[in-house]
Amino acid sequence: MSNLEELKSKLKSLSAEYAKIRSLPPEERRAFGEKINARKQEILEKIRSLEESKRLLDIKPVDVSAPFAKNSPAPAFKQGTKHPLSSELEIVSEIYRNMGFNVIESSQLDDEFHMFDSLNFPKDHPARDGYDTFRTEEGFIPPAHTSTMQYRALTRFKPNLETLGQIAVVIPGRVFRNEDADATHEHTFYQCEGVFVSKTATLSQLLATWKSFFETYYGQSLNIKTQPGFFPFTEPSLEFKIEKPKSLGGKGDGWLEMGGCGMIHPNVLKTAGIDPEIYKGFAWGGGIDRLVMLKYGVSDVRLFESGKLDFLKEF
Amino acid sequence: MLISLNEIKKLVNIPVSDEALFELIDSRLVEIESVSDWSKKYKNIYIVKVVSCEPIEGTHLHLCEIDAGSELNKKFDPDHSLIQVVCGAPNVKQGMFAVWIAPGAVVPQTFETLEPFEISERKLRGFMSYGMLAGADELGLGDDHSGIVELNPKENYAPGSLFADAFDLNDKIIEVENKSLTHRPDCFGLFGFAREVAGVLGQPFELSLPAETPLSSVSSDISLKISDPSLCPRYSAFVFELKPETPSPYLSANDIFLYKASMRPVSPIVDLTNLVMLKTGQPSHAFDLDKFLSASNSKSLEIGVRSARKGEKLLLLDGKEVSLTPSDIVITSADTPVALAGAMGGKSTEIDASTSRVVLEVASFSLYNLRKTQMSHGLFSEAITRFTKGRPATDFASTVSLLKSGFSSELNANLLSESEFITPTLLDLNKNFIQNVVKITRTGINSLLGTQYSDDLIEKTLKNVGFSIKKSEEKTAKTLSETPEKSTLFEISIPLWRTDIKIKEDIIEEIGRLLGYDNIPLSFPNRPFTCASIDPMLSLKSSLRTILSDRLEANELLTYSFVSKKLQEKAGENPEDSYIITNSISPELECFRQSLVPSLLEKSFENEKSGHKNFTLYELNQVAKKSFGLSPENVPNLETHLGLVSPGDFYALKHLLLELEKSLRLKFIFKPLDLNSVSNAPFLEPLRSASISIQNSDREVSLGVFGELKSSVKSSFKLSQISSGLELNLSPLLGESSHKKLNLKLSKYPFVSRDLTVRVREIIRYEEIESLIRETLESEPDLLFKLTPVSIFQIPLAPTKNLSFHLEISNLKKTLTSSEISDIMKKITKKLEKSDAEIV
Repeated sequence: MSNLEELKSKLKSLSAEYAKIRSLPPEERRAFGEKINARKQEILEKIRSLEESKRLLDIKPVDVSAPFAKNSPAPAFKQGTKHPLSSELEIVSEIYRNMGFNVIESSQLDDEFHMFDSLNFPKDHPARDGYDTFRTEEGFIPPAHTSTMQYRALTRFKPNLETLGQIAVVIPGRVFRNEDADATHEHTFYQCEGVFVSKTATLSQLLATWKSFFETYYGQSLNIKTQPGFFPFTEPSLEFKIEKPKSLGGKGDGWLEMGGCGMIHPNVLKTAGIDPEIYKGFAWGGGIDRLVMLKYGVSDVRLFESGKLDFLKEF
Repeated sequence: MLISLNEIKKLVNIPVSDEALFELIDSRLVEIESVSDWSKKYKNIYIVKVVSCEPIEGTHLHLCEIDAGSELNKKFDPDHSLIQVVCGAPNVKQGMFAVWIAPGAVVPQTFETLEPFEISERKLRGFMSYGMLAGADELGLGDDHSGIVELNPKENYAPGSLFADAFDLNDKIIEVENKSLTHRPDCFGLFGFAREVAGVLGQPFELSLPAETPLSSVSSDISLKISDPSLCPRYSAFVFELKPETPSPYLSANDIFLYKASMRPVSPIVDLTNLVMLKTGQPSHAFDLDKFLSASNSKSLEIGVRSARKGEKLLLLDGKEVSLTPSDIVITSADTPVALAGAMGGKSTEIDASTSRVVLEVASFSLYNLRKTQMSHGLFSEAITRFTKGRPATDFASTVSLLKSGFSSELNANLLSESEFITPTLLDLNKNFIQNVVKITRTGINSLLGTQYSDDLIEKTLKNVGFSIKKSEEKTAKTLSETPEKSTLFEISIPLWRTDIKIKEDIIEEIGRLLGYDNIPLSFPNRPFTCASIDPMLSLKSSLRTILSDRLEANELLTYSFVSKKLQEKAGENPEDSYIITNSISPELECFRQSLVPSLLEKSFENEKSGHKNFTLYELNQVAKKSFGLSPENVPNLETHLGLVSPGDFYALKHLLLELEKSLRLKFIFKPLDLNSVSNAPFLEPLRSASISIQNSDREVSLGVFGELKSSVKSSFKLSQISSGLELNLSPLLGESSHKKLNLKLSKYPFVSRDLTVRVREIIRYEEIESLIRETLESEPDLLFKLTPVSIFQIPLAPTKNLSFHLEISNLKKTLTSSEISDIMKKITKKLEKSDAEIV
């Protein structure tokens, strides 16, 4: 007789024994009942466990380390990938949008007016040299910074000053510099520019705003640090650094240079038809490629435009 | 730029540690790139006396005994009372004072390199040699390798004294990032830099200069001819007479000063001009007067400043001859060019050991012209670097004073004559230099920075760095804040050396910077409750990425916007229509691209080569060609394109487009390529391609083309798998009206399905048959149907093909009976028969 049947017959005899309860004096009945019940539970538990082990015998366990099932063809992984720079630009744009910034895209062929003149670069000024600008035969410029869009952002969103009291725009885009490419330099790269104008804009707000972006982007609070900078289109001009975030191995030491910023030069506002005696603004801009390099540990910036699937399929 | 910390300490009292000072400079003045600790660089390097010096036969070497003081002598060469060193320098001689690198010390030249070289004791030609007697290059002081450094015996150095102590080398050399000082010519001199250091420390800065010699004591028989004051707003010339002197062979404190700034000594006269430039930031230039006169066969001194003439040439001090252009400014003797103004002197008037009369020039030149000179001749001298930052014409005083006193006290020169040209526009009515004045209120400052700085703090901060201030109370402040309040009006006179300060914001920058931007409390702008918008093109691109990558398994690429003419020609494009980059990095990156497919084909080849199979590549990016024309802003019109290449044939790519169409809720119109579309896609085989357009309001708008690659294109890109391509302009998709509306009718009665195969002549287009069936079904009242193509089959070489459809029909109001169904099927058959098609 199997163990299970033995247990089942024990259970039966136990029910028979339970009938004896009526013959006992009332004061003993309770204790007797409890004793029988306990034994009953014990047997039931044994039965359950026996039945479970029996059931498991019929189930084939999986090999958790195997990539796919026995005797079946290897399933293909999804082939499709998005470029990490495009994805990051979307993430960055989305954060800024949630912060209240309209997002417009930068143009890849522009002119001297947008790239320099409207940004308060004096004609033929040496400050223009710092931008290693490409030029076409017609004198058009594949822009060297997304600031080339400032004039357009200011003029296009100027009506917002009346309706909302502010202009808030970010401009992601591709920019170009005439420099030889190496592991950390590319002639083609991505930036994101921010522009804010209101009657009460301050440098304090600029620092708080950009800091807040990075805190959202890195998901932690961050210390910031600045350095005096020089850009003809901002006054004061600053370089902006953030503390190296924990996700990048930061331990409270070390700083990451994130780009330049400052209060928009009154001449830039004036050129865009905004009265600098009434309105103040701030602007900032930084590279996107480096954010991606830091995030994923990409050591060579040239991989981004290499078109190599070996690289792109990692994303 | 290199700055010596010791020199700053001579000018400013520094109450904080070096590290704290560097932190302050870095955050409030200029980025520090590196700091080199020279006390480590010159550790264990001593001044010694060469006691004996005997040639080692058969070699160029000398066996020397040197005295490094009794303690060191005993330590390094216990066998002798002096230290034995083998020396190969031609100028080693008995009795000289030299610099000795002791065994165990690192050769300064190799300090901070990847492989620092440590000197040891070793045997040379059978003689023990302890350490080495050092040349200037080995000491990291310039690149002179002609012999060992010789020290002036008159100085009576104690043998064994530390070289670093005697020559002020226990110093820290700070390298700063020039770029953020582009607008600060004053900081390109030690004095200006030190003034700022005092400023960030909150201290006043005072500079004591030698007293000026009065102008009247000398004649002014120098003729100055400035052709155009805008090229040269100010020119001061001085003539000195001195005894010709051969440069001293001994290392001097001045030499060290120059070396610390990475310059090298040339001659006492030139060195003096360089020293003064390093201190004040104002370059000056010394000509040999006699050579100056003979350059133009003149008797009297006539200095001219003018634009160079086309065709003129000039041999410069560095031995290079430059062909001048009219944007260059030249200094002339009478009319003969003798120097390239602001950049470099000419060889013909070079100072040498026999120079006995000197013309000294302190001048100011148009930075715009100098910038062109710098770029066209590739000249990056210390002088032109300073001039192109915009040296003010009004700030010569300290330079002239230091030069005059230097010529008289250090070179024993007499000032014979001086003359000066000043553009009248620099002067006010009292012949004083015009000083800029900026007016700003305390509220104006604080409301831009977001701070609450007090009047006193603002005043002190500005005065420390040389601004002078008049304060007054402004009651109804015309400020940036909404509510007028009582504020203080500052009337600030800008020091002559601060050419960068012109407007209120410049003053605000000074306050914010000197007091530390990092000390500003943070606050956020108020934000209205409105939703920010996103560029519809960015949204569209984002959707396309999700569909193409996540659903259709394509790989997104980003490739350069610049391509080669060769690539365009390979793809059949006309490079003439491209915007050409005049200063491209290489011919490979010469043209702004007209389309994306050629770039993708190029990358396909590389990926096929690395063994990737069955991949679809796409890119979303901007393209331009001249034939797109210009925008109303007069900049090139750009189009944002989707480019895609894949291994399938026309139909595979069409299937992908149908998926895309469905996901985007659009209705694509496919048509055979017409002539115009063919020229837009020269890489496609016209008979195996189609154009795509959409209906936008009342007109059909072309999106682009897709299809199979021409076999010639496929082979010129050496492709084995990639066979088809797609190039779409995305802008027309942004119009709302192109979106398909939902037209959903649901029936509660069952659907009945029928299969239907139609035989037609081979040349009949699929679309004709499908629309016939559709039309018939649509004309039935209350009928609901789903018509799905199942197969298109043709026996090879047969004159007909079979089109099979799966049809599901239902009625909105009733269950269809089988006779009703067969009626419908009959109607279809009839309609098809009219068009020479039959149901099989």
